[in-house]
Amino acid sequence: MKKKLDLPHILTVIIIIAIYAAVFIAEQHMPPTSMLFTVLKKGATYALVAVSMNLLNGFTGIFSLGQAGFMLIGAYIFSIFTIPVEHRGIVYQYYDGGVIQFTLPVLIAMILAGLVAALFAFLIGLPVLRLKSDYLAIATLGFAEIVRTIFQWDKLGPVTNGSNMLRLFPTFNDFNIKNADGTVAVYLSTIIPMLIAGVCIAIILLLINSTYGRALRAIKDDEIAAEAMGIHLASHKQMAFCVSSFFAGVGGAMLAMYQTTVQAKSFTTAMTYEILLIVVIGGLGSVTGSILSSFLFVAASEWWLRFLDQKQVINGFEVPLLRNGFRLVVFSFIIMIVVLFFRQGIMGTKELPDLFRKKKTAEGGAK
Amino acid sequence: MKKLFALLAVVLCISMLASTAVLADNVVKIGVFEPASGDSGAGGKQEMLGMQYANYETPTVEIGGETYTVELVYADNGSSTDKAPSAAQQLVSSGVSVVLGSYGSGVSIAGSQYFADANIPAIGASCTNPQVTAGNDHYFRICFLDPFQGTVLANYAYKELGARTAYSLAELGNDYDQGLATYFKQAFEALGGTVIADSFPTGTSDFTSYLTNAQMYSAEVFFCPVSIAYSTQIVQQASSQGVTFPILGGDTLDSNVVANAAKGTDVNVTITTFYQEGANPDFDNGFKAWLNSNNEYLTNNGGNDMIAAVSVMGYDTYYTALEALKAAGTTDSAAVKAALPGVTLTGVSGSIAFDEIGDAIRTSAFVKKVDNASGDWNFVTEQTVD
Repeated sequence: MKKKLDLPHILTVIIIIAIYAAVFIAEQHMPPTSMLFTVLKKGATYALVAVSMNLLNGFTGIFSLGQAGFMLIGAYIFSIFTIPVEHRGIVYQYYDGGVIQFTLPVLIAMILAGLVAALFAFLIGLPVLRLKSDYLAIATLGFAEIVRTIFQWDKLGPVTNGSNMLRLFPTFNDFNIKNADGTVAVYLSTIIPMLIAGVCIAIILLLINSTYGRALRAIKDDEIAAEAMGIHLASHKQMAFCVSSFFAGVGGAMLAMYQTTVQAKSFTTAMTYEILLIVVIGGLGSVTGSILSSFLFVAASEWWLRFLDQKQVINGFEVPLLRNGFRLVVFSFIIMIVVLFFRQGIMGTKELPDLFRKKKTAEGGAK
Repeated sequence: MKKLFALLAVVLCISMLASTAVLADNVVKIGVFEPASGDSGAGGKQEMLGMQYANYETPTVEIGGETYTVELVYADNGSSTDKAPSAAQQLVSSGVSVVLGSYGSGVSIAGSQYFADANIPAIGASCTNPQVTAGNDHYFRICFLDPFQGTVLANYAYKELGARTAYSLAELGNDYDQGLATYFKQAFEALGGTVIADSFPTGTSDFTSYLTNAQMYSAEVFFCPVSIAYSTQIVQQASSQGVTFPILGGDTLDSNVVANAAKGTDVNVTITTFYQEGANPDFDNGFKAWLNSNNEYLTNNGGNDMIAAVSVMGYDTYYTALEALKAAGTTDSAAVKAALPGVTLTGVSGSIAFDEIGDAIRTSAFVKKVDNASGDWNFVTEQTVD
């Protein structure tokens, strides 16, 4: 079947290209220390992870809470294989430089990060995907905790560096193209992560809109009916689980590059909940929603609300309540309002092209 | 769609409010990169109190013949390495000349690259991991390092306490604990003792099995350089098990919370730290009066006016930064960075000077012990390594 390119789709493509172009231009002209780029980098990372979680929770109806575990695997695999050999002595200070004494190119390491995460997903999917709803959630949550503890185990120290940090591997800043004298000629440190996330999300979108994707939605609506129609439940669930974990692994690698350091300690269940929150705020079953809400979430928590931690004096009047820590109070409050008044999330199950479609049919209505 | 616009409007309002920063002339900004939330929130707040007190005491600085007002810019790194980069970036984009902090080595390392990229120097107050400064020319610190502290503790255990078997307990996944435990083990075994090393998973609240293990191995000292929350539980459970070995800890245990836990028991808690209350009465009295002047400060200090060593370190970092600004003669961060290696001053915690790596040259640590009757810390000795 040939896909028809209608106006909403064309508009969507234009918007996406415009955003990428705007980011690229902004990066060349604004100071690289601007908060905007930090937010875009982390937002792109979270967008990818949120979409991959949405594939499971929103489209397939598998309530998995193992995201942080797969991200951890991805982040570790990426950083273990990309730390330059000459820095290994400093990083693995308690383990004599570690056992791995070679490096892989960044993109290959990222794909490897995804593949290893997918492999783990396949293995634990075998027993775990037989479970349903809450039990599946508990099992995957447990898996994430187990992975974290195993990576911290000091007997594995020569590979994982035990409880200590991995660092000095390539970061987003290494994507910048530099002149011979070390000054940056073309800034690419924000656009590349956005492109990587964009390509990955596009692949997930293709999957969602394929026969497999329709089968996954059928499984979500009614497993028995889906099975009666000839959908092989186990293999479809397994596939969705592995694909989701693959991209969570890639997302983990991106998070590692954003953070510039990796430590198993930070991949807690709180991280999974943060991503789940993004998915729910964006709308379960909407890729656009997940992307939008991850950028909003990151910007609000890391940038726009930070001023609440500072004392502010406007015309000699000191604004009350503003002090260190107040940001978190306001942030929780905003999330509560969003959850109360946007029950379906920002987008519900709609995607970006649907917005234009709706506007078209409801012409003359509220704008 | 309507809702979406409403949401965007709200977001816009917030961001506009955010941009209405107040500007006065001749202001120099110093970034405070500390955790106010998360696991190390309590320690971070105490370290911040020291900086705030120093700022209250000396709110202006003479740079290049002009008087500048010092503005502290706070960024909460949430004790977590995934929040630290944006906090660091926040400080960078607000144009700080120098950064102070952070409590916790992990977040310092995570933020480090962002300061390096912007050519802004950072001064650590209590981050003891060697990796904070190793290989960077922009990160400095005024406290001693883990290898030093581990060796001091091992020497104290072996020579002063006469222990030959030590049981060391650290949190799994915490690089501070594991690092200090490693150095302790190295030093203690070099002296001729034996160390039984063990780890517990994050979130453990029942330490009885570890304490029993230590008794089983007839350990003569129990080394646990763990976070405050765990150490209070260990002290309480050690008391109820009636253990006979002393509990030894690092600078994290230096808190009134730990002292309170040991109050009324007969557990011997001995630690190494940066500062002993009473060493500088002028500072002690001034700081206490300042703490008592505001309930918020008292709450951030853990409810009473006992002086935490990290507050003293925070205080000294502030003055180190001022000295660097004076020496640079400008608020330009690159000049401050260039001036920092040459800065020397006599702080409350002792004299401060940097070696070629950017670490403070320190040769001794304070050893102190809980007074079980009053719940205060008592000075034991100033331990040096030979």
